[in-house]
Amino acid sequence: MMKIFIDERELDVAPGMTILKAAESVGIKIPHLCYHKAFLPEGTCRMCLVEIEGLPKLELACSTQVRDGMKISTKSERVIEARKGVLECLLAEHPIDCPICDKAGECKLQDYYDEYGLFESEFNEKKERREKKIEIGKNLIHDQERCILCRRCVRFLREITKTEELGVFQRGIHTEVSTYEGIPVDNNYSGNLAEICPVGAITDKDFRFKTRSWFLQSRESICPLCSRGCNIYIDSHTGFSRFSVPKRVYRIKTRENQMINGYWICDKGRYEYAYLDQERLEEIIVNDSLDSGSWPEITVFLAGELRRLFKMKRSSRIGLIIQSWLSNEELFLVDKIFRNDLNVEKIHFLDPPEEQADDFLLTSERSPNRRGAKELGFELQSADWDKFFADIELLLVFASPFWNDTANEPLKAALDKINTKVLLSSHVQEVNSAFDIVLPMSLIAERAGSLTNVVGSVQSFYPALDAPGDCKPAWKFLVELSRKIAMNNDFYGQFSSPESIRKVMNKEISFFREEQ
Amino acid sequence: MADKILTKHFGLENLFKIDVYMKNDGYSAVKKALSGMKPDEILEEVKAANLRGRGGAGFPAGVKWGFVPKDSEKSKYLCVNADEGEPGTFKDRYILNHNPHLLIEGIIIASYCVGINTAFIYIRGEYEAVALRLEDAISAAYENGYLGDDILGTGFKLDVYVHRGAGAYICGEETALLESLEGKRGNPRLKPPFPASVGLFDCPTVINNVETISNIPSIIINGADWFCKMGLPKDGGTRIFGVSGMVKNPGIFELPVGMSLKKIIVEHAGGMKEGKTLKAVIPGGMSAPILKADEIEINMDFDALVEAKSMLGSAAIIVIDQDTSMLDVLKVITKFYSHESCGQCTPCRIGNAWINKIVKRIAEGGGKREDLDKIIQLANNMMGKTLCPLGDAAAMPILSIIQKFRDELESYIPLGN
Repeated sequence: MMKIFIDERELDVAPGMTILKAAESVGIKIPHLCYHKAFLPEGTCRMCLVEIEGLPKLELACSTQVRDGMKISTKSERVIEARKGVLECLLAEHPIDCPICDKAGECKLQDYYDEYGLFESEFNEKKERREKKIEIGKNLIHDQERCILCRRCVRFLREITKTEELGVFQRGIHTEVSTYEGIPVDNNYSGNLAEICPVGAITDKDFRFKTRSWFLQSRESICPLCSRGCNIYIDSHTGFSRFSVPKRVYRIKTRENQMINGYWICDKGRYEYAYLDQERLEEIIVNDSLDSGSWPEITVFLAGELRRLFKMKRSSRIGLIIQSWLSNEELFLVDKIFRNDLNVEKIHFLDPPEEQADDFLLTSERSPNRRGAKELGFELQSADWDKFFADIELLLVFASPFWNDTANEPLKAALDKINTKVLLSSHVQEVNSAFDIVLPMSLIAERAGSLTNVVGSVQSFYPALDAPGDCKPAWKFLVELSRKIAMNNDFYGQFSSPESIRKVMNKEISFFREEQ
Repeated sequence: MADKILTKHFGLENLFKIDVYMKNDGYSAVKKALSGMKPDEILEEVKAANLRGRGGAGFPAGVKWGFVPKDSEKSKYLCVNADEGEPGTFKDRYILNHNPHLLIEGIIIASYCVGINTAFIYIRGEYEAVALRLEDAISAAYENGYLGDDILGTGFKLDVYVHRGAGAYICGEETALLESLEGKRGNPRLKPPFPASVGLFDCPTVINNVETISNIPSIIINGADWFCKMGLPKDGGTRIFGVSGMVKNPGIFELPVGMSLKKIIVEHAGGMKEGKTLKAVIPGGMSAPILKADEIEINMDFDALVEAKSMLGSAAIIVIDQDTSMLDVLKVITKFYSHESCGQCTPCRIGNAWINKIVKRIAEGGGKREDLDKIIQLANNMMGKTLCPLGDAAAMPILSIIQKFRDELESYIPLGN
């Protein structure tokens, strides 16, 4: 370890560490624009210059490594002057169209101006005019006037995706980032460009002009669209009192996790979030003789039916279709209630078929918890539908949000012959009408629990959105059902939250115990 | 003739041809070095000669070679900087054109000394004819056994390639040169690492100016003491001063390091043209801070010019007369740096363009009182704060011109503005 001093604060740091990282480790923020921790330092924006005792020039915090006894000042007059100088230059040739810029509110240039500047412009010349709306990719618009040439985008495409669709062209004040001969950015990670752009130069078509960043609330979640389990933020409109908004979720952003997804998420995870708001099932639908039903009534009814069939030794007439959008805790409960208590054998997984994985984050599995299901001892291969449906009297289906796409023809045809069919679904979908009772379920984004990703990492998630209408999380429904079945109340009585379920699960199942 | 090293044989017909060069003791230094000297002996000799880099920065060549790790498993490279982009500078062009074998001889010795088997000459794109002549000279050197797999039967192997630049001042900056040579956009690299350890294709690399390398053969033949005596003890040898501007006899003059600037202008360049009086001199290429007419009694060596708050740079002397407007000088300078900034880092990319816009406005009659102070502030924003020396190279002349000719510049600003 080495002893260094930052703003007269003494700290011990590991050799080889940069000044910027050392400072950040104790909460001293050094402004920077081109530096991004995912890439090697570039040292071009010149915002992170700091003063080092004994050195004549200001030095870069992003690339200079600490030396024993180094005395660094991040707030000296010279440093502040240099920062102001950089900001002054950047703003001189910047359109300052913040009122119509989607980055406003989370723009580094705005933040730093607020922190170091608030000066009057002394730029009395004509600004350079550049292209303001270039489609550089399927989801991306590039505004060359706003670009500050930090080249994060260029480095991302060079170092991370290795697709190199963007380059730097021209020289001096005419320097610009652009595509090569108009060939667009085309890879499954393009959306990260809008996110790492420190200003509003690359904006997301999906987000452009839809809302303002300060109306959004960012909450943590896990992407369920494949089995990688990328850590995300879900940015939702909290419902501004003076106007209603057409949807809750406005964007998905990456949440750093070096063990899972680094700093990135794929475009599928970023852009395919419409299901969170569209066609949501919010109320209980009863298509059968029961002319009305509430959650308690239906839970009692269902528990009674299950109990009856079990007592009559007709467990083979109970069928369960589930999917790996259920959390570890929920699958644990399914296992306990149906396999253990009720001796149900017909439990079939209806997951989306595997698709092409890319060679980075996106896996071939298009549901989040197949590994968790496997570790809980479920069989995941596809069942023989004819065998499955033979003699089924009661069918309980936990549908995935994309259940319409995965429910196949034999399944739909078989439904007619079944006596009691109950569906738990998050969405209004065509197949719903074939069921007697449809119960509204909350999504992973709306509930808590844990998921096991493709390589066996168990990650907890918490509600990022409020569940709409009468939606209920599956774990809650299962706990309530188990209590009404009343076969093992001591056991189920201890479950009040996914955490309490997980505690028991961790004790019982060695995989989860080890993963703890 | 005895006081010249590089231009000694200039004027000999067909000096650029290998047989003429060899008849005049050419390649004798290679023979001496490769057959009779160990690499370490050569390194000590070059270090002792205090040969300072002729490209502009004046870094001692021997010290630079010494930085190359001896035990590296990677290939090592020599890059000869023949980009000669500093305005006012045209010395390397003369060496390359008239005496290409002198450079090749220097390259062979330097490569042998450092353990290099591949050398590149990065030549300014505009020097097309010179590049062709250089390539002919290289072919002749191969044919005569001075280049190739087994040079003079010593087992030493060296290949030399000529690479033409595409026309960017910044590619004369050593790390931008490396990027360009690698086939990439010519942007300077962040240092450290320095090229001596991580250079061309990430391998240890020596980068020297044409004139620097061309001095090596004479150091081998005559020794370090002789070389130092040719110039100053701490700054050995001669410099090729390129004089341009309002003098009677512009051109190149090879003179000892430390020669008086006044003497160079008055005696060697023939003094001012008829009817012209001296106003100012830029002593070391356009980046060097300007000297006023009464500041030219100064010795042309690195240390003396630093003391005078200017720099020897590439020893290109630009002589400015009283009829030349300093605003025009400033206009040329700011336009040049604005045009040549690579655009990588903020203070240089925008600062130079901003200064250029202000100077243009002043020249068009729209100057304001506060403009000169703004230019000073913008130049100070660049000074010492950019990634590569281009920021300093732009700021230095601009600051010195405003400081020394402020009254004149203010006279171009309309009263009341």
